[in-house]
Amino acid sequence: MADKEATVYIVDLGRSMGKRYHDREVTDLEWAMQYVWDRISGTVATGRKTAGIGMIGLRTDDTSNDLEDDADFANISVFSGIKQFLMPDIRELSEKIVPSKTNKGDAISAIVLAIQMIIIHCKKLKYKRRIVLVTDGKGPMNTDSLSEITKKIKEDNIELIILFVADAPPVSVRGPDFDDPDYGVKEEDKDPQKAENEAILRSLAEDCDGAYGTLEQAVAELQIPRVKSVRVTATFKGFLQLGNPEEYDTALRIPVERYFRTHAAKPPSASQFVLRSDLAASQEQPESSATAAAAAQESQPADGNSLTNVRNLRAYQVPDEEAPGGKRDVELGDLAKGYEYGRTAVHISETDLNITTLETFAALELLGFIQSDRYDRYMHLSTTNIIIAQRANDKAALALSSFIHALFELECYAVARLVVKENKPPIVVLLAPSIEPDYECLLEAQLPFAEDVRTYRFPPLDKVLTVSGKVVTQHRNLPNEDLMDAMEKYVLGMELNDTDENGDPVDTLPIEDSFSPVLHRTDAAIRFRAIHPNKPIPPPSETLTKFSNPPQDLVEKSQPQLEKLIAVAGVKKVPPKAKGRKRTRETEKPLSGLDVDALLHQEKRAKISPNNAIPEFKQTVAQAENIETIKEAVKQMSAILEDQIRHSLGDANYDRVTEGMGTMREELLAYEEPALYNDFLRQLKEKVLQERLGGDRRELWWLIRRSRLGLIDRAQSDQSEVTEEEAKAFMSASAAN
Amino acid sequence: MADSNPPRDDEVGEEEEEEIDESNYKTVKDAVLFAIEVSDSMLVPRPSADPKKPVEESPVTAALRCAYHLMQQRIISNPQDMMGVLLYGTQASKFYDEDEGSRGDLSYPNCYLFTDLDIPSAQEVKDLRALVEDEGKARDILVPAEKQVSMANVLFCANQIFTSKAPNFLSRRLFIVTDNDSPHTQDKALRSAATVRAKDLYDLGVTIELFPISQPEHEFDSSKFYDDIIYKTSPNDPDAPAYLQPDSKASTATGDGISLLNTLLSSVNSRSVPRRTHFSNMPLELGPNLKISVSGYILFRRQAPARNCYVWLGGEKPEIVKGVTTQIADDTARTVEKWEIRKAYKFGGDQVVFTPEEQKELKNFGDPVIRIIGFKPASALPFWANMKHPYFIYPSEEDYVGSTRVFSALHQTLLRQKKIALVWFIPRRAANPVLGAMMAGEEKVDENGVQKYPPGMWIMPLPYADDVRQNPETTLNVAPEPLIDQMRVIVQQLQLPKACYEPLKYPNPSLQWHYRILQALALDEDLPEKPEDKTVPKYRQIDKRAGDYVLSWADELEKQYATIAVEKPASSTLVKRGAKNRAPEDEESSKPAKKVKVEADNNIEEEVRRHYQKNNLSRLTVNILKDFLTSHGRSGVGKKADLIDRVEQFLESG
Repeated sequence: MADKEATVYIVDLGRSMGKRYHDREVTDLEWAMQYVWDRISGTVATGRKTAGIGMIGLRTDDTSNDLEDDADFANISVFSGIKQFLMPDIRELSEKIVPSKTNKGDAISAIVLAIQMIIIHCKKLKYKRRIVLVTDGKGPMNTDSLSEITKKIKEDNIELIILFVADAPPVSVRGPDFDDPDYGVKEEDKDPQKAENEAILRSLAEDCDGAYGTLEQAVAELQIPRVKSVRVTATFKGFLQLGNPEEYDTALRIPVERYFRTHAAKPPSASQFVLRSDLAASQEQPESSATAAAAAQESQPADGNSLTNVRNLRAYQVPDEEAPGGKRDVELGDLAKGYEYGRTAVHISETDLNITTLETFAALELLGFIQSDRYDRYMHLSTTNIIIAQRANDKAALALSSFIHALFELECYAVARLVVKENKPPIVVLLAPSIEPDYECLLEAQLPFAEDVRTYRFPPLDKVLTVSGKVVTQHRNLPNEDLMDAMEKYVLGMELNDTDENGDPVDTLPIEDSFSPVLHRTDAAIRFRAIHPNKPIPPPSETLTKFSNPPQDLVEKSQPQLEKLIAVAGVKKVPPKAKGRKRTRETEKPLSGLDVDALLHQEKRAKISPNNAIPEFKQTVAQAENIETIKEAVKQMSAILEDQIRHSLGDANYDRVTEGMGTMREELLAYEEPALYNDFLRQLKEKVLQERLGGDRRELWWLIRRSRLGLIDRAQSDQSEVTEEEAKAFMSASAAN
Repeated sequence: MADSNPPRDDEVGEEEEEEIDESNYKTVKDAVLFAIEVSDSMLVPRPSADPKKPVEESPVTAALRCAYHLMQQRIISNPQDMMGVLLYGTQASKFYDEDEGSRGDLSYPNCYLFTDLDIPSAQEVKDLRALVEDEGKARDILVPAEKQVSMANVLFCANQIFTSKAPNFLSRRLFIVTDNDSPHTQDKALRSAATVRAKDLYDLGVTIELFPISQPEHEFDSSKFYDDIIYKTSPNDPDAPAYLQPDSKASTATGDGISLLNTLLSSVNSRSVPRRTHFSNMPLELGPNLKISVSGYILFRRQAPARNCYVWLGGEKPEIVKGVTTQIADDTARTVEKWEIRKAYKFGGDQVVFTPEEQKELKNFGDPVIRIIGFKPASALPFWANMKHPYFIYPSEEDYVGSTRVFSALHQTLLRQKKIALVWFIPRRAANPVLGAMMAGEEKVDENGVQKYPPGMWIMPLPYADDVRQNPETTLNVAPEPLIDQMRVIVQQLQLPKACYEPLKYPNPSLQWHYRILQALALDEDLPEKPEDKTVPKYRQIDKRAGDYVLSWADELEKQYATIAVEKPASSTLVKRGAKNRAPEDEESSKPAKKVKVEADNNIEEEVRRHYQKNNLSRLTVNILKDFLTSHGRSGVGKKADLIDRVEQFLESG
């Protein structure tokens, strides 16, 4: 369990914080708040009741604190006592965070107040206590009781973090602040009070074993996503076994535990909501999703008040030929559990439900050993785990260590059968030894079963086998020597050379520096939206997209090799138009090369027959010598499809219709006659909507939409007169009806 | 919107990948129709070469048995896919409601549609098995017609079955099993009619796969007739390899030697699954301005039993119930349209809302791509850095001409230089970007020269820093050399065949058992007693080969442990280990042949057994019972009474 926390933030709101520094786009205060809000929203996001936050404003116009009668504590306001922060607290607080008109207010006094808040809140209980002070150090400070404060902070084990808003960029580029108009103190090198305060605060932080840094550093660190640490729990505690201890006295058993080594960290999940019905009713039915979104943007609720949950309502249906639509609703109460075996329903009574469960007992049983170089790494099927000896069992640790070292020395992996709990399905896992100076364990990955392997065949890549069985080594699909040579050099040039902290090259993958983009993007966006409800979401931070492109220096360095490679590779993009077009009028032939078309010609299929429609439509169009023939074929095909719709019992013929339409669309696109298809589709839509094809056929229209059988637009064919927007509108307008 | 068609993904969510070909209007399903010729020569039993199974089997029976195996297998592996069996050349005819008894002319004389093309039902499985095994029934149906059946008619019959039963399927295949390489030698008209009907099938998108059977005296010659019937590639897959693959030699089963059924089975098996792309024509970016196109496939993926479903028992037979979800607003229960739905996140006791556009933008990290970031030595990829199954990629010339040669050059270079590529990989629009290690895989072939693993590249998704868990703390106890030496001998004794892992040798026991039971229930068979489980270790062999070495290792362990136990006084206050340290070491070392156990708490075992014999298990504490049960792989959850029950059950059966 995570510890309870109490953090008090002290934010300097003095007048000097309201100015912008140099070419920075935001004021010092806004800049400081980037850090503070990030911390606060990070805590809020955990949703923990035991993570308390307090907030003190320093150098405020007003004074409001427990010691406000004391002049030393003037211009300090306690905005919030220590408590769990929720959205309303954030909203309330963000209104108060504005620069004041004063520069008065003592940072040391604010720290004293914070200490007191923590003492009262935490009493003597176990807490993680923390004070974060952000200031530009331009206020007066009374240092009389510093040593006592230091003592108290250390005594109560409070972590003091002081972030200093540095006035000037690093020393080397210093200069501009001399003639900063806000200052008007040109005769001095630097605001002497600020320098003095900086020294005081730094030594205070250091004396308390706290941390001191510039805001610049702190904000820069925000770019690095924080990885949540997860408590480790064993997913299996049992025995690594060799042989059967129930039957053989020679069986070997080592008590072991299994933990995740990798496990997917999930991004926060969203729930579905809709606008409250009373609000939704007042909204016009939007014409497209774009306007719907615009409407939503306008009425963007600052809170979730205008929303209501979406619930899923399940209805249960069985096929019934007599019912309208071919389906009938049944009550959940009348249903039993079962399984599908092919298309047969197998009913299993409630008491027998685990009859199909294989009886197993928990164990990690060794099947045998393999050579590590005879294993193909791509067979890893899962996340990985580690296996260690039962903790606090030295004998087990010793035994497992001998196993790990034996595997390592022999360059072997072990194959084992793992059942994590009684009656759980067995899995086959691969165990590899891992030996580090201070840690030994087995690494485990799941292996595929016979059923998990799909044997798709592909031709070899280093030679070409022709249909006649000849082996060819020079072919347009094979690289020649020039290409091989250029590739070799390019691969060498693009070698990633990572270095460790000492600048020494390392041969590891940059896993530690790569962060889940979606997880952190979503997380950052939620927190940003919570603090700034009306601002657009900023783009993802650079850290998240660091690995989306090769490193710039590497690209520049290997530019000559790449150019050479491109030159000899001779890769040509197929223009999108040509993709669809029948490139040759030559039709496909069987293996023997026989000209079947000639035979087809003899047969003279005058009319497309409804029961062989697709082949005959294709053949007619392929042999058409003029546009009239194609038009006629489309006309016949349309009639056949409409007939199929009209006579469809429920959705019985719908798949057949979509196949016919898909064929028509494909062929007419290929023969560059998009208008013929578009005309057909427009007529079909009208007939469907007017229920002229045997009643309510809206479900068919929906299927057509889902199957992407809409109008052929300009992006797909140059000959089309339909724009992409029109095509989109054509399909969606009807769905709303 | 009520939708019943799409995959049942209400639980898996959008992340879970379905194999959808986004560019296509067809449904990603496969239909296989077996067309088996029934003729005198096909009905002659042939001797089996397998001395263990000296059963004579005719090609027809072998083909039917093959279809039966495939049917059972596909119910498990492809529950959505269809299968049918058409016999041709039979005296009898049957086509839907037509048979010899019908009035009028038969549409397809001498064609007998034994199993209609559909997702198999239990009854159909049963009927097919009966045909394979039951002589009586076979005698009625498997009677050859007097004259040669028209192949044009057979092909059109298949055409009609595919057109009406498997409309809009992405993959439709006709498996022809025959030993007749020239059905219409004399009749030119019938021959050309057949080629026209074959072209129809081709245009319909049906692939014909031929399983030729050579006759004892006569090698099957496809050039006589079938080369006019069969087209080079599947119309749906322009990149399919040349039709004639090395395995075709395996299927020319002559009567001498090779067992017919086995060759047929392996040949059918290898083509039993249609090749499905996971993504097609994806750009693979080797560097700025150098793109080629590749297609992706999933060659390893965990197959799990289908979830249980609701069954309606109110009708004549149990009926599978389809669930339809409607979304309603919580406040007024009105039906909600998709466009109305907003996504919101819980934050600080409130909801943080995004518009659908913003929501989309959050997931948008660019278009689908595989982009090479740079190269690393293959050894840089740690064993543990893995998240899920790999993706297999293979070049396609569809978008970029020249892709194949560049891919081949990269493939060969990575193999030669022993390198992997680090890639930024977005498999689909709006899919989570993956950082992957791309490695070249060599082609692997089996003993018969048939491809086992194809040549190509594999992309293995790497964990992000967020996905890496920390190792739990533990104390390090490095084994001394003598102990390792002993263990090394054990490991050397127990190498798997060829020292490699062969997945095909290990069917998933729980999956097989699940369907075995369902099959028994569905077909009203007796429930099987004991599952066949290939993943259970071969205990006898382990004992025989390594038993003695294990014992001597155990001795060494005791010796070594005794030394460290002395070094580390038991007075350590960090860990409570009273019971464990008092483990009866002397007892074990004096009798080395006793059970080899490392857990050092033998006393629990004995105590429980003692109490069991005295019938007063209830006097033991819950903890002891729990430890006893877990040490035997049994669940240790539940109340004390349950635990006692389980202990008794265990000790009774032992």
